[in-house]
Amino acid sequence: MSDLPSPPPLPRDLPLAINAKKTHVVRTFTVDDVPLTTCRVDPTGNWIVAAAENFHIYRWPLDGPQSARTILHGHNSWVRSFDFSHDGQWLYSGGYDDRIGIWPLSDPQPTPARMLVAHDGWVRWVRTSPDGRLLASCGNDNLLKLWDTSTWELVHVFKGHQRYPYAVIFHPDGKRLASFDLMGVIKEWDIASGKVTRQWEAKFMWGFDKKFRADMGGARDMRFSPDGKHLAVAGLTEVTNAFAGTHKPMVLVMDWETGEFKQKLKIDSRGMAWGIRFHPDGFLVGSGAPSGFLWFWKLDEEKPFHTFKLTGGGRALDLTPDGRQAAVAQTDRKLQVVQFTAQSA
Amino acid sequence: MQRDHGCHRIDHSLSRRGFLATGATAGVACLATPAISRELEVKQKRVLQVYLQGGVSQLESWDPKPGTRYGGPFRAIPTSVPGMHISELLPHTAQRMHLLSIVRGINLKTNSHHDGRLFMEMGRRSGKFPYLGSVAAKYLMPTNAPLPGYLHVTTRGLTDYTNAFLDARYGQLKLAGPQAPPNLIRPKSVSAQAATRSRELLKRLNSRFSGRGGQKSFTDSYNASFEMAEKLMARRELFEGPAADKDLDRYGRHPFGRNCLLARTLLENGGTVVKVTHHGYDTHAENFNFHLEQLGEFDKSFCMLLDDLRDSGMLESTLVMVYSEFGRTPKINVRYGRDHWGTAWSIALGGQGITPGAIVGATNKEGTEVSEREVDGGHLFHTYLQALGIDSSAYHTLDGRSVPIGDPAKQAVQELLA
Repeated sequence: MSDLPSPPPLPRDLPLAINAKKTHVVRTFTVDDVPLTTCRVDPTGNWIVAAAENFHIYRWPLDGPQSARTILHGHNSWVRSFDFSHDGQWLYSGGYDDRIGIWPLSDPQPTPARMLVAHDGWVRWVRTSPDGRLLASCGNDNLLKLWDTSTWELVHVFKGHQRYPYAVIFHPDGKRLASFDLMGVIKEWDIASGKVTRQWEAKFMWGFDKKFRADMGGARDMRFSPDGKHLAVAGLTEVTNAFAGTHKPMVLVMDWETGEFKQKLKIDSRGMAWGIRFHPDGFLVGSGAPSGFLWFWKLDEEKPFHTFKLTGGGRALDLTPDGRQAAVAQTDRKLQVVQFTAQSA
Repeated sequence: MQRDHGCHRIDHSLSRRGFLATGATAGVACLATPAISRELEVKQKRVLQVYLQGGVSQLESWDPKPGTRYGGPFRAIPTSVPGMHISELLPHTAQRMHLLSIVRGINLKTNSHHDGRLFMEMGRRSGKFPYLGSVAAKYLMPTNAPLPGYLHVTTRGLTDYTNAFLDARYGQLKLAGPQAPPNLIRPKSVSAQAATRSRELLKRLNSRFSGRGGQKSFTDSYNASFEMAEKLMARRELFEGPAADKDLDRYGRHPFGRNCLLARTLLENGGTVVKVTHHGYDTHAENFNFHLEQLGEFDKSFCMLLDDLRDSGMLESTLVMVYSEFGRTPKINVRYGRDHWGTAWSIALGGQGITPGAIVGATNKEGTEVSEREVDGGHLFHTYLQALGIDSSAYHTLDGRSVPIGDPAKQAVQELLA
């Protein structure tokens, strides 16, 4: 036996470098007959889940074939939002049937361990706390709620939004929540006291349609940067005809420490920004519909440095844990996995 | 379908027999004979039209298909009629479905706002015919009616020539909401005596103009406008003062709630046809979020109005219509919207002359086609009028010519008639 050290890897064995401009599709999963509404990749990177315009949740092994699909039954309305326990053992689903589903994700055929009646009206968002002990939800009763993930007891109710809160997330410090409602109102909540500590009005992400007398706005996705310094919100701007969907996609980036609206990333086409993520390499990636695109921005630039055309409208996206891939839930019934590298030889 | 076979109200049958007798005697003569007018005045019949402008989604209201490909996210809930389910967006209405019936098999064969609206209002696919409201006003409005015959409460102005060839006094008068229409109060500088003299002079001038070959329709129209204005001026108290808090708590403080409250006031004070329009159902994008908001407003306000009509005893003499110009596509587009759809959709009816608690017609599993008892605007037009005791197969008489009231090729939906 030789005691010689292993030789350095040859260039062909190294992982390909992240390069957003080289984004390409590596896998496509499909559902039978309806568009998808959302998707997530679990923290272990083993599973990918999606929901559709039916009452089902679909699960695939991230690296598996289409035929490995499992359908999870339990909701009796559309599912809008997912999150996971940090070990990836549990899937949490927020549904328009007012309930949160709690699923053993890795079971061969998961059935809900619990269907928690969480809100009086749609559950629009669920998000796990940084320590995994709490789940935040928001719904059409205009409330935010915190749930103990070990007992599923209600820990706290946050009242204050006058219109539907569309999304709620934890700040990475675990002490604060951020929420965004239909009217573009952003609130920061102190979890310990239950009080609103700061509030902003992002009116440019809301519009009142005078003809039809209707409000249009709300967050379609929200994310903190891993260091907690920035908040990104996906939605819309420049509403001119809410009922025809005449508005433009927008991603708002806030400096969370100063409260400044740092970037208003508007796309000059008709539609909505449905997904947003901070990539570990320092850029932002967003998805939009109905004309399906992925947009890539540098944090200090207003225009995307790259766009990637999807086969259908992009309604949600999520990154794999290593940041090399993203899943995109699309309007053309496809769940596409894209890779941010050059294609392998 | 379910029917209430216990309803044998004698006034309905009297009216229908009376009209039929008139038609048999006079051939194609005018229906509103003095005898029948007196009968109608004994118990005035009225119409309440609640128009959900833009096209309410049948799948989010009267014909839910939860769990199907195009069913959307909302669930179906049971109603006060065993076996009848409607959308969960209408929880208050669900508890009152024993007062209403649903027509689920409407096929207008048009997806145009304009054409659909005219078909639903005129009972004809094309041509210039009076709206249901104008026809009902002509044949139901008492001679001494304290209010204009056809009042339309709407926050938006759509151009409607509702009376067509009927007298201008049967045309709709639009009210922008519960606030008083402008200029209801006579200027202080004009005495009551001077106003009366001015009015008399105007009548004489109009009469002379018509007698000398001037277009009578012009003067009729002006006279009708003055008559309507005078009636409103005489009843301006209907628009004065804020609504009671207890009423606003029940009806809602939003414009539609206040407009429903005004509709109640108008019906209670002698209105013959009152139409309330609720805008905002043309949901090509975000259909589900918008229906959540819009039907949330509609449901409570409409039900409070329905309750008040029932409690005052007026419901049985008031035809209640909840309708649109069409429904919305089963297919959900990429903006979470539903588009125009006149092919298979629904309305709800109740009150005067309508069998309550019935479902007439059906659509297939995914709501893409009518599968049972297909009807259109022509059939419904006959149905509305016959529910009101008006012989829709008779004719309007107009300066020597006759025009069928309803489309002669269509008939009433008998299953709906009490």
